[in-house]
Amino acid sequence: MGKHSAPNPQVAAPVAPTAPATFAHAGGAAAAQQPVLDVRHIEKVYGSRNNVTRALADVSFTVMRGEFVGIMGASGSGKSTLLNCVSTIDAVTSGNVLVNGADVTAMKSAKLTRFRREQLGFIFQDSNLLDTLTARENIALPLTISRVPAREVLMRVEAVAQRLSIKEVLDKYPYQMSGGQQQRVAAARALVTDPAIIMADEPTGALDSKNARLLLECFETMNRDYQATVLMVTHDSFAASYTHRVLFIRDGRIFTELRRGTSTRQEFFERIMEVVAMMGGEGSDAL
Amino acid sequence: MLFKLAWGNVRRAGRDYLVYLLTLTLAVTVFYAFNTISVQVDIAGVGAQNPGMGETLGGIISGLTVFLAFVMGFLMVYANNFIMKRRKKEFGLYQVLGMSRGQVARVMTLETVFVSLAALVLGVALGLVLSQLMVFFTASLFKTQISNFRFFISPSALFMTVGCLVAIFLVTLVFNLRVVARARVIDLMSAGRQNETIKARNPWVSAAIFVLGLAAIIVAYVRLLHDGLPYDGQPEAMQAFLITTLIVVVGTILFFFGLSGFLLKALQGARGLYWRGLNMVTIRQLAAKVNTVSFSMAIIAMILFLAITSVTTGMSLASVMNSTVERGTPVDYTTSVMYYSQAIADEWNADPTISGGEGGVTFAAPTEPVDLMAMSANQTLNADTPDAQPFDLASIAGSYVQVDAYDSTPRGASKPLVTLKDLCDAVDMPLPAGTESSDVDSLGLQVISASNYNDYLAFRGMETLDMPADGYTLLSDMGETVNRVYDAVLKQGVELDLGGFKLHPVQDHVNADASVFVNSMMGMNSGTLVVPDAVLAALDLPPYTSYLLVNYAAGANDPESDAYIAAPRRYNDVIDAAGNIVGGWGAEATRSTTYESVNSMNGLISYLAIYIGFVLVVACAAILTIQQLSGVSDAGKNYRILSELGTSTRQISHSVLSQQTIFFIFPVVVGIAHSVVALSVIVDLIELFGGLTIAGMVSFTALIFLISYGGYFCVTYLMSKGIVRDAIRARHAA
Repeated sequence: MGKHSAPNPQVAAPVAPTAPATFAHAGGAAAAQQPVLDVRHIEKVYGSRNNVTRALADVSFTVMRGEFVGIMGASGSGKSTLLNCVSTIDAVTSGNVLVNGADVTAMKSAKLTRFRREQLGFIFQDSNLLDTLTARENIALPLTISRVPAREVLMRVEAVAQRLSIKEVLDKYPYQMSGGQQQRVAAARALVTDPAIIMADEPTGALDSKNARLLLECFETMNRDYQATVLMVTHDSFAASYTHRVLFIRDGRIFTELRRGTSTRQEFFERIMEVVAMMGGEGSDAL
Repeated sequence: MLFKLAWGNVRRAGRDYLVYLLTLTLAVTVFYAFNTISVQVDIAGVGAQNPGMGETLGGIISGLTVFLAFVMGFLMVYANNFIMKRRKKEFGLYQVLGMSRGQVARVMTLETVFVSLAALVLGVALGLVLSQLMVFFTASLFKTQISNFRFFISPSALFMTVGCLVAIFLVTLVFNLRVVARARVIDLMSAGRQNETIKARNPWVSAAIFVLGLAAIIVAYVRLLHDGLPYDGQPEAMQAFLITTLIVVVGTILFFFGLSGFLLKALQGARGLYWRGLNMVTIRQLAAKVNTVSFSMAIIAMILFLAITSVTTGMSLASVMNSTVERGTPVDYTTSVMYYSQAIADEWNADPTISGGEGGVTFAAPTEPVDLMAMSANQTLNADTPDAQPFDLASIAGSYVQVDAYDSTPRGASKPLVTLKDLCDAVDMPLPAGTESSDVDSLGLQVISASNYNDYLAFRGMETLDMPADGYTLLSDMGETVNRVYDAVLKQGVELDLGGFKLHPVQDHVNADASVFVNSMMGMNSGTLVVPDAVLAALDLPPYTSYLLVNYAAGANDPESDAYIAAPRRYNDVIDAAGNIVGGWGAEATRSTTYESVNSMNGLISYLAIYIGFVLVVACAAILTIQQLSGVSDAGKNYRILSELGTSTRQISHSVLSQQTIFFIFPVVVGIAHSVVALSVIVDLIELFGGLTIAGMVSFTALIFLISYGGYFCVTYLMSKGIVRDAIRARHAA
């Protein structure tokens, strides 16, 4: 297991300069090509021999370039574990995770750090900005860590900030911004390296509804204009309704999958609510 | 139960307690080891030479220990706050679980007891070892032989140490209990979440403050180098010195206050450097901490400055005394008489409270010097006892010589014929440091006759001087700075015009060895002019001082002769043939007492310097360590984020290391810079009395200081790495 990774030259490729997508896909439908993320039969087991907790059991799915995918589930369902495993923060017990064809489960620590830096972008529930840096510096951080030349760093930060309408807060410190602004700065930071996938873990969790809406629209912009692939864990049906596709996790397994298709966001929201109600009706606590 | 909880806490929070334990242990070790001084002095055989030396030193050291215990006490409170800050949530949890405040307080007290006990046991054990080793050190400092080495425990030192530790413990406890008593549960529970608000100061303002601070420091340096130290205690000089001190203190504080802002601006100017790797994180992290830390950095820089300067000065003084004592004590015994001037005699005669009015004594200026050997018989041994008898110096004296020095201001004249200032002007040199405003320039040089000087040289077993009718030479046993002037005068053949006599030098440099008239650990002859007898006679100069140099009949350093001189004695008046009082006895010294006092002084100075210096350096380093550790743990979340963004642990450690290096290096650099400037002034002063060598003992001490400071730095970095690693891991556990 995990040893037969397909060699892929793209993995080590340096971060490409930002090319704001000029070939915007109508509706952001997945292009028929190699998947950006290919999760194959992953399993995550915690604990020792006598006391085993199976957090993930045989989970498989793929995400295409430019897709906006939601993962829903109750607390303890394994959705955060799934995200951690996919995002290389946690190691899987078995199975493979391929990003752009490269098997991350087979990577060693040093290579993993680099991979994470170049291929993944993260957005968390609390914005996770460095409180000592200004917004501009926070967004620039992943680039400076990768040793991108200063001139290019500043240009790219400006460009992303422009897109996500946060230019006016660029020289403010996190504590001078609202929660929504902080999250959008975090989104800009995730986007600025032009990663293969952006991982968002309950990004709206700490926001009021207005700011949550702004952030989700921001994700839509990222997805549409930058062709960014977004994988978002949430327990909020409203947030999930912004995605193209929702995976429902329960007890460590994929319970079902909903595709938005051509339906409006309102219709999609109602379909999601139906599934949530059905899952909740089986005795587990509501989402 | 509480006991168990407390014990578990100490073990679990071991790393947090480590700095606390380390510093307290070091304090206990040093306190104990240095307080055994009186016993050490005994074993090292110093007591035999200097009765009472041990007690004196012990008294000073224990007084100092109380003071240093205060310093340590506040340091410990600071260290403890760091631990408390990290554990507020835990104490909140105890209360939520139903423990009363009293119980929480007891847990904490027990924890402090455990750590203090551990520090006491460890510290005393180390102190015992160190104190045995220090006996050898003491013996070498005081230049004595260890009479009978034995293992020793000093109960009084132990008592002192325990007393200080208990005091420190109590102070810490009071502060701890206050934290528990005041804090509300809600605050304790949310303590982890409230971050210190980061006040972003305008970096331009900071940079300006930094430049202002730097300018102030430079101004203070220039002032000090220009004005020198106020040795003479004149009010204007003291005031100028105080202003300089104030400027440097304010400058240092401003310097550290603006340091991070300046670094930030400077680095931001270099775009390629700022937007590269973790550089901006490092610098921003520094800037964020500056509010809480800049003041203590400034204080630490000043303390390090004090420690470096006092240790170096003390030890240099000691080494100067060592190097000059041999030259300064050519004979077994010296004594002197200082004659009164006509002005003083007239003044005292007119004052009935001094002269006793009608039927009292009469003062007079002598027409010629008195015979000191004969006059010494006027002194009374064991006066006011049945055993009283005249002091018979001749009975122990073998060979002896009397040197008669005359005032260079002729009778009736108001100004000296020649002064140090005149000589400086003649060779176009400035007055030596330390003499500018003293009376060396107004008072003239003393004058002796060539034949008298030749008597002296013959007595010393030195080659006599052939003095032509128009010759002169200069004598001085002071240090380089003064002798440089005299050497230049002799070398350049400066012609002296003394009341119409034109004299020319017969030597080309000052023979310092042949210039010593009194036994002393330092130079005492600041300038003597030797002129032909005929010139001296013609100038009509009043006698100034007579020196008597004696070698014992019973051989050099004869103990019985020393004892005879050391016996209690009444110094009676020095009178002329007419019975007028013409002068008073000056300082007397035997060679043995001079050597002993040099060794004791040496030992005393070195001891105090090392003791104070070591404790201060340890205290400074401990404060820096604790500040850094609390800073790192506060910023733990930031390091976790960096890790999640794909920064390698190596890069993060590197950033932490850079921050800590800046924090540790800058106070030392500033402290050393201050010291170098201060020392360059002090060196000038010490050079007055002899050459200065900053070597040997000083570099050894510096090495010990560096090792302890560096040790704290390493501990800080290693512990920070641990904290960062934990912070990064925390995410996975959550």
